[in-house]
Amino acid sequence: MSQKIIIRICTGTTCYVLGGAQLLALEDELPADVRERVSIEGALCFQLCKAREPLRAPFARVNATLISEATVPKIIAEIQRQL
Amino acid sequence: MTVHTDTFIDVGHYQVHKAGQRVGGDVFIFQRHEDSERVVAVLSDGLGSGIKASVLATLTSTMASRFVTSYRDIKSTANIIMQTLPVCKERKISFSTFTIVDIEKDGTARIIEYGNPATIFFQADTIGPLKKEQVPVESAHTHERHVSSGSCVLACGDRLIMFSDGVTQAGMGRADTPLGWGQAAAERFITACIKTQPTISARDLAKEIVSEAQRIDGNHARDDITCGVIYFRRPRATLLISGPPINPERDAVLAGRVEAFGGECIICGGTTANIIARELDRPIEVDLTCIDPHVPPPSRMPGVTLVTEGILTLCKVSELLQHGIVPEEYTDNAAGRVLAKLLNSDHIHFLIGTKINDVHQDPTMPVEIEIRRNIIKKIKQVLEEKHIKKIELEYI
Repeated sequence: MSQKIIIRICTGTTCYVLGGAQLLALEDELPADVRERVSIEGALCFQLCKAREPLRAPFARVNATLISEATVPKIIAEIQRQL
Repeated sequence: MTVHTDTFIDVGHYQVHKAGQRVGGDVFIFQRHEDSERVVAVLSDGLGSGIKASVLATLTSTMASRFVTSYRDIKSTANIIMQTLPVCKERKISFSTFTIVDIEKDGTARIIEYGNPATIFFQADTIGPLKKEQVPVESAHTHERHVSSGSCVLACGDRLIMFSDGVTQAGMGRADTPLGWGQAAAERFITACIKTQPTISARDLAKEIVSEAQRIDGNHARDDITCGVIYFRRPRATLLISGPPINPERDAVLAGRVEAFGGECIICGGTTANIIARELDRPIEVDLTCIDPHVPPPSRMPGVTLVTEGILTLCKVSELLQHGIVPEEYTDNAAGRVLAKLLNSDHIHFLIGTKINDVHQDPTMPVEIEIRRNIIKKIKQVLEEKHIKKIELEYI
């Protein structure tokens, strides 16, 4: 069996108020077959909000791939790309 | 002589009203005097129930507290109270019971009782001796009455427990408790409580006693049931750290404070937590079982009681404190957990990093985010004024 895809969601202040709070419900949005192949973790501030443009909060990582202005569909698309 | 350099007088009470009454006729109040760290607590039970009883009990407890605080002697205090209370139209008497406990920082306690069940002195988990004498007082309306005056010295871990007759008379007339729960049975219950939970807080013990009395009353209190507990114990100290130091060279100092602190430690701030985790080489794990739309989830770090996000969580804590919301009435999120820890502490040391996160000041952020120092000042003020906590504020 292949290794699980690790999704890390930044729970820092900026990410949280810019939409990160909704990302924590990601697990409920995943199709059942995808859900069992990923592991969702929260993370303390990635410190990326200070990097300014062109990257914008909220941030998430799907394995090593960084997603800025992350939304549930963007994360799901990246998971499906990696599967 | 015992030296009481590091003790705290924990005072808590719990009360249920007579079933169907919205106002209680039992009143428990206490005053803590910051300079001397002396505490005066009064439990009063007004004649009857409802508003009339409440007025009698409030008058009595307020007068008693004021007079005793100013070291007025017991006899004249009792005299003034008895002669001041309004006379009940139906019963033609003025009446309100009282128990007054006056306790000094060194554990010396004076106890004055009139009409309430006897105050119990617990030396750790055993009932200790309470020397009492009867002092006659005059009354404008009836024959001579007596108040009981007692004294004892509390050592660390000792308690004084007072309650209204709603406790001892609970269950009166029921088959298994025809004369009510009674003082002796209540004492056995409290002894068992303290033996199983030796460090139970004043409020929690008062709640256990009142809940048991209510249960014995068939969960339908037939009188106001009130219990006050005074617990002489070591202070519970909490260190709350929030914000990175202005100068990164002080990161190690900050982390060192976490390691050296003996009490509970709370870190509010992701960057702050990252700094401490890095300096102390400890892992952090975000707890995704505690999700809330407004407050980011808490995290776990070994050796630290609680780790949370910073500004949003502290803003919420400040809001909860301003509105007088207690953790039991609130949802289980990181802010509620911080609030519970703060309210459960006696001494709180705020260690605040003064570095400002520029991103939070961006006006395009969808919520108003205050500067850390201002929120902490608001939290400090409510904790000091409303909750009588001892607060120290230090910037790093």
